[in-house]
Amino acid sequence: MSSRVADARERLLLLLALPALVLLLGLFAFPVLRLLAMSVEGGSLEYFEKAALDGLYVSVLADSLRIASVVTGICLVLAYPVALWLSRAGRLGLALGLFALLLPFWTSVLVRTYAWMVLLGRNGVMNRMLRDWGLIDAPVMLLYNTSGVLIGMVHVLLPYMVFPIYAALLRVDPDLGRAAEGLGAPAWRAFTRITLPLSLPGVSAGCALVFVLSLGFFITPALLGGGRVIMISMLIEQQVREFLDWPFAAALSAVLLAVTLGIYALVGRFGGKSHLATP
Amino acid sequence: MRLSVQGIVKRFGATTALGGVDLDLAEGEFLTILGPSGSGKTTLLKVVAGFEAPDAGRVRLGEEDVTEVSPRQRDVGMVFQNYALFPHLTVAQNVAFPLEMRRRPKPEIAKRVTEALALVELGALSGRLPRQLSGGQQQRVALARAVVFGPRLLLLDEPFGALDRKLREGLQLEVRRLQRRLGLTTLFITHDQEEALVMSDRIAVMNHGRLDQVGAPAEVYARPATRFVADFLGESNLLEGEARGDAVAVPGFGPVPVACPPGPATLLLRPEALRLDAKAAGLDCRATGRVVETIFLGLSAKLRIRVEGGPEVLARVPLRPSTPPPAGEGATVALGFAAEDVHVVPRG
Amino acid sequence: MTNHPRRRSMLLGSAGLALAAPALGQPARAKPDRIVVNASGGAMANIFRRTYFAEFEKLHGIRVVDTSPVDFGKLRAMVESGNPEWTVTEIGGQDATRVKQMNLVEPLDASIIDRSGYPAAAIDSHVYVSSAYSTALGFRTDVFPNGSQPKGWAQFWDVKRFPGPRSLRNHPVDNLEFALLADGVPKDRLYPLDMDRAFRKLDEIRPHIVVWWTTGAQPAQLLVDKEVVLATGWNGRFFELTKSGATVATEFAEGSLKSSVFGIPRGTRQAYWGQQFIQVMTNPRLQAVYATELSYAGFNPATMDFVPEEVRPLLPAAPGNLEKQFWLDVAWWTENGAKAQERWNRWMLRR
Repeated sequence: MSSRVADARERLLLLLALPALVLLLGLFAFPVLRLLAMSVEGGSLEYFEKAALDGLYVSVLADSLRIASVVTGICLVLAYPVALWLSRAGRLGLALGLFALLLPFWTSVLVRTYAWMVLLGRNGVMNRMLRDWGLIDAPVMLLYNTSGVLIGMVHVLLPYMVFPIYAALLRVDPDLGRAAEGLGAPAWRAFTRITLPLSLPGVSAGCALVFVLSLGFFITPALLGGGRVIMISMLIEQQVREFLDWPFAAALSAVLLAVTLGIYALVGRFGGKSHLATP
Repeated sequence: MRLSVQGIVKRFGATTALGGVDLDLAEGEFLTILGPSGSGKTTLLKVVAGFEAPDAGRVRLGEEDVTEVSPRQRDVGMVFQNYALFPHLTVAQNVAFPLEMRRRPKPEIAKRVTEALALVELGALSGRLPRQLSGGQQQRVALARAVVFGPRLLLLDEPFGALDRKLREGLQLEVRRLQRRLGLTTLFITHDQEEALVMSDRIAVMNHGRLDQVGAPAEVYARPATRFVADFLGESNLLEGEARGDAVAVPGFGPVPVACPPGPATLLLRPEALRLDAKAAGLDCRATGRVVETIFLGLSAKLRIRVEGGPEVLARVPLRPSTPPPAGEGATVALGFAAEDVHVVPRG
Repeated sequence: MTNHPRRRSMLLGSAGLALAAPALGQPARAKPDRIVVNASGGAMANIFRRTYFAEFEKLHGIRVVDTSPVDFGKLRAMVESGNPEWTVTEIGGQDATRVKQMNLVEPLDASIIDRSGYPAAAIDSHVYVSSAYSTALGFRTDVFPNGSQPKGWAQFWDVKRFPGPRSLRNHPVDNLEFALLADGVPKDRLYPLDMDRAFRKLDEIRPHIVVWWTTGAQPAQLLVDKEVVLATGWNGRFFELTKSGATVATEFAEGSLKSSVFGIPRGTRQAYWGQQFIQVMTNPRLQAVYATELSYAGFNPATMDFVPEEVRPLLPAAPGNLEKQFWLDVAWWTENGAKAQERWNRWMLRR
């Protein structure tokens, strides 16, 4: 009897999830499959060959992965203390913190990027301040190179790192910290031994999210890199929009997708090894 | 080690959680702080553990004033309400944690962890994670972790709250045995008066951030210092009357011959002191009443009785196969009590 | 009346025919309630609304719905699906040749669209050349006052005589031409472009380029912020700055002229009304509004008569400016764009 009830409930839940599943299948899975099909048009692997053998695409992909890793690393280092603070902040602090974090989402990528130009440009606020304080004689190039791209991307992606870590930290029972302290742990060791390992699921989720999003960026790197930084997504966009070489764009996308999935798999294995459960 | 708490005051904004608490525990003593939730008992425990700094007062462990000492340097073992086991560490790693933090050599840690787990009979489960244990097992791991490093004081914050009754009773005795064996000075917190009576050397009853009474369980039970203690600890009939000279006039029962300063007075009469046997000898006061409700409890029965011209009272009568069954609802009964069974509850 | 709906609609229908036939002097056509015109959007959409759209609606009583942006891929997909939503669409200048080759647009109907007086370069069988714009040199007038700015790309390359940070577009189009002009290739002998020579010349200027820009707004912003003192850019952007009083002006010498073109997606149901819309776009009075406000002058020779005197020198198609510049060879770029882009990417990556 009870198993029949459970069956019925399961069927109902499936029914409720159906629209989302159909949407995902129709709007995501199907186009992805078509894309993959397009990349091997005519049963030939010539597009993949071009992507693999042409040094341009290999080195751009390597660059993109490198930049995505660095962005992920910086985000992690900056986000963890913020998440930790948020998880322990009072109501006012939390509201202010969340507001500051979400603020960038309410402005368009372009506006945000132009704001960075105003702040970090050769004659920007930052350079003027440094000059007024006598710290520098000539303007420092903060923009139109890799550092500009990193600054801009970290700014946009920071919330994606903060929130998963924050959520993971919220799930850590505050009594655990107290228990550790009461059992003789100095604050730092209580953190490294207890809080940090328990927040790892959030850390790995945040890293995966930021890394994958970084790989897809092209507006921010194009504007803040001054043309000197090329991401693989920029090349894909070029192929689609400018040269209408959809099979080649599809091949590049397939490579990017494979790399992304590979990273997810790695993170999944890493995440699976840690002991995520709460008591 | 001796624990001495003097004049502890703790405020949170406008509310006073602790309004001047004094308490002394002798070496090896098991003292229970009993009070309803919100009475301030957990706050007091946190002050003793060092998680909360008092606004006034001192905490001493032995000869040392630890009021300003951080929790990690107090050497106090604590078992939290929800055990606070580290979910990502095994049972053995959990128990080893305080020793690691004290940088004990590895072989010593291994030896003491084994001993501590043997003490709580969990040696076989040392490789498990907390979530793979039952509630009672988790509780014992928490206990082992709290005592493994030889703390100067053991703090237990409602450690049995989440367990079912049977398990709770078994663990109560086990904890008490363990505490005696280790000779650990122990401060125990509960809102369960039965638990307090069973386990404690002494009980301190807390109400609104103050200790109403501190004493041995039998004494606190028989001679509560305040109306609150009388009411909170065990079942009670609180009879209101008027004291004049050498007796207190209680409606329905007439004058009760006990010494009491003149004025309104409250008399405590435990339900088991109320006799339903009109022919019994030595009853100083008598009355008649109608049974409102009879509750059968196995070894005894509990009766709610409306006294003629007086209050409603609770009586508990022992049941033996030889005695007749207790009076049913609606029956008229004669009842009475001896003056020596009455305790005058101090006013104020 | 409600009892005879069919009769009523018949009456109305014949009344509509009676009205339409004499007004247009054309065979009767069913009138849709609206047509869709797809263009770049932004400030342009605003002016289109006030000029061509308003005029078309007044003339024909058909509502014009506008969409954006210009998207070659979408045009191709629409035509291939067989039912284009757009009645008329703007086409990126670089794609003007391709749309014809790929058979994506209807031929223009000369019996409806009157282009008499248009320069030969601006007449095509399939696309309507609506206006000209130019990639020219923007400069700060406080750094280069009184006409002391570089004139031509050889001078732009001369960083000793004209010092200061510069910006070029992060794209091979225009830049390869500019490099060859700087290297002494005459305007009329640019094509086919000598890529090796162009990239060698670009190597020289590379260290002086602070920013390789991506969006059209960037060079204007860079000049305003004084991040750079010289930048190539689309003349309309500099025009706006000059009009708003910024210390920025445009040098047209050796600028790269391109045309904005419009076409009628092949297979669209309202092709006839598309032809009619394009005819409205030839109106010189309306073209002049567009030229005055955005600097993109049309090719009806009468347009200049409606443009205020002081604005004329700022227009790329104005007499005096036109002959200083060269026309970008769209056909060459259609043929060689992908190869040039790949080489450009590679050149960019070289550190």
